[in-house]
Amino acid sequence: MTVNEITVSVGGSRELDRAGLAALIASLPGLRVVPIDKNPPPQVLVWITSRDTDQYPSVQTDTAILLLTEGAAYESLPETITGLLSRDESPAALGIAIRQVSRGEQYLSPSLVPAILQKRQAKSGLTDSETSIINTLTEREREILEYLAQGLSNKLIASRLYLSVRTVEGHLANIYLRLGVHSRTEAMLMAVRIR
Amino acid sequence: MNASRTHLAILGTMSELHRQPISYDLNCLQKIVADVSPDLLCAEITREDWERGDFAQAALEVREALAPTIASMDIILIPVAPSLKQYRDFTPDAGWRHGVVRNFDRLLRWGQIQADDVKTINGMWFGTFCHTVCWLTEMFWTAKDRVAWETQNQELVENIVRAIQRDSGRRVLVAVQCQRLHRLIPLLHAHHDLFKVVAYQNL
Repeated sequence: MTVNEITVSVGGSRELDRAGLAALIASLPGLRVVPIDKNPPPQVLVWITSRDTDQYPSVQTDTAILLLTEGAAYESLPETITGLLSRDESPAALGIAIRQVSRGEQYLSPSLVPAILQKRQAKSGLTDSETSIINTLTEREREILEYLAQGLSNKLIASRLYLSVRTVEGHLANIYLRLGVHSRTEAMLMAVRIR
Repeated sequence: MNASRTHLAILGTMSELHRQPISYDLNCLQKIVADVSPDLLCAEITREDWERGDFAQAALEVREALAPTIASMDIILIPVAPSLKQYRDFTPDAGWRHGVVRNFDRLLRWGQIQADDVKTINGMWFGTFCHTVCWLTEMFWTAKDRVAWETQNQELVENIVRAIQRDSGRRVLVAVQCQRLHRLIPLLHAHHDLFKVVAYQNL
């Protein structure tokens, strides 16, 4: 039996927010809260944004950054930020998001998807080559792509299909490869265009 | 460990028999599941209830330990209970058989209270005690109920096997009432071509 705890730090401008979030994260299984300046650096930095500041954390090479947001300013995010978690999400979703970004994957709260898609004007048709690529996807991959278009997290997709999260991640890696995309957001955009 | 082969561990739980304030350590169960952190957790709740989020008929450990534990983890719960009927529901309604079964239940409950935690329950001594008491208890059920119990266990195993066939090569933890173990373990071992059964500590 192995216990691989994920080290997490919490940052942001408001001390009370930081303390509350740190206590919540510490209560979740498999996560350990560490100081932000710890050496080695934490695996995940959860950064709380607020309306009155646009400050983002300074980059630490090996640290995945998860932004806790109210949905604003996502278009101006630095590339170092790998996850966007809405403040409307449940504590359980916070745990899932932390685990996902700690593995080097991206996380996007389902509730933020509509706004992102609207801003990017995703509703354009598929090209012929894109259509032929879509046709090569397996039934399971299409199913997962459909859930991706709905903005579901990997955990929720896995729950719906009664598959492990690792299996869904494997399917997503294949989907990205076949579609020639490099991120979850790009795959989501294409998935919405397919629908 | 061969990563491409499914590994399956069976964890006996025992809250179901308690009708008084429970001494059984659900925190211990939660910790074990969190530490093992399987890819798939097969648990005793029907698919319909799980998808509706209705835990009213589910075993206490599913409602108060397993479901809350997996909520924030990357563990997927596979509902494998074929029906709502539980071990205690097979107790004869009246007559001398009812009395004998009640006495065996008391004996089992006494043993469970002595055992108190998941580690002991899944140990050799309690396992032998529980298997023996449950096997004797079943002898005093009606023939129809014995067949129904056997059928239910077979269907439960089929649900587990289907989950493994759908997603092979994963780490699977099966958490079921300890009263089923003496039936379930041989049925699962019969599928050794699909997965390797290991102790939960080695999953």
